[in-house]
Amino acid sequence: MLAASAAALPALLATTGCRSSDLFAGPDPLAGRPALSHDVITLQAVIAAEQAMIKLYQAAVDGRLGVDDLAGLLAEHRQHLGRLQARLVLPPGFSAASPSAPPFASPFASPSASPGAVPARVTIARLRAAEQASAADLLRRLVTVQPALAQLFASIAASDATHLAALGG
Amino acid sequence: MTGVMATSAAAGRAVPTGRAALAAVRAVPALQAALAAEDAAIFGYGVAGAHLSGSRMSAAEQDWTVHNEARDTLTAMISALGATPVAAQAFYRLPFEVTDAASAAKLAAYLEEGVTRAYLGLVAVSDRRLRAFGALAMQGPAERAAFWRGTTEAFPGLDVPG
Repeated sequence: MLAASAAALPALLATTGCRSSDLFAGPDPLAGRPALSHDVITLQAVIAAEQAMIKLYQAAVDGRLGVDDLAGLLAEHRQHLGRLQARLVLPPGFSAASPSAPPFASPFASPSASPGAVPARVTIARLRAAEQASAADLLRRLVTVQPALAQLFASIAASDATHLAALGG
Repeated sequence: MTGVMATSAAAGRAVPTGRAALAAVRAVPALQAALAAEDAAIFGYGVAGAHLSGSRMSAAEQDWTVHNEARDTLTAMISALGATPVAAQAFYRLPFEVTDAASAAKLAAYLEEGVTRAYLGLVAVSDRRLRAFGALAMQGPAERAAFWRGTTEAFPGLDVPG
């Protein structure tokens, strides 16, 4: 039965207009790693930016910047990061770090700051600028990704906006 | 709002055609939900305002005005898509009894959270401009909800399991 089926396969493919390569197309082990999707690359960049935000807030908390509930805002950014990271599922062999946006190459990093650098003294103005830039970046990115991810970005952007108000100004 | 528009001679207004019409069909329910939330907020602020005074009363009046403007914007957007904007109800059942300033503030926060959720629904539509509109529009109610609640939250508009 199996032999008969195998023998009949070329004829069946011919009648359906298919080639065997169409039917059995899959990952080519010699073609290298497949490219990551746009959503994954975007998510990696947003995660890197959120990590930079957390470092900034941590520096502000450590520097005892006089803002009410700064630790609360930091905790919410950690929640953002956790939620974003939960969405990121990479194939084996890929790094979770963004290939295009190394840590602190965030939209709110100081142009003069080296990657990964935390400013010596974090000011409220700096935090406000970071929140504003983060919300704007998320709004820009959310129109290019799948709806569920877009809604997460929109919610985080709205949270950033409430942080901006909480920081005063 | 959906790109391609044609002018309907009969109605004298722009209506979407082809793929734009399909996108509009999907966008209209989300816009209607946002409009319904705005209508509920307008009603609710009328109730809350009666129990507030001083700067809180002024804040409530300001927020009421913002919701009226948002209602007009949404009404125009829905009409431009060739649909009939959902009418406001004469009365809305409140989620809890409002008897003093504290419960009035709680109601205001509740209303703003509802509006935030409704605009977040727009972020799921395929039209990029509507998505951007919804994402931007939800920031105001999220900020006002934080004001009335007294605290910020990590995920405005989203149901996040604790």
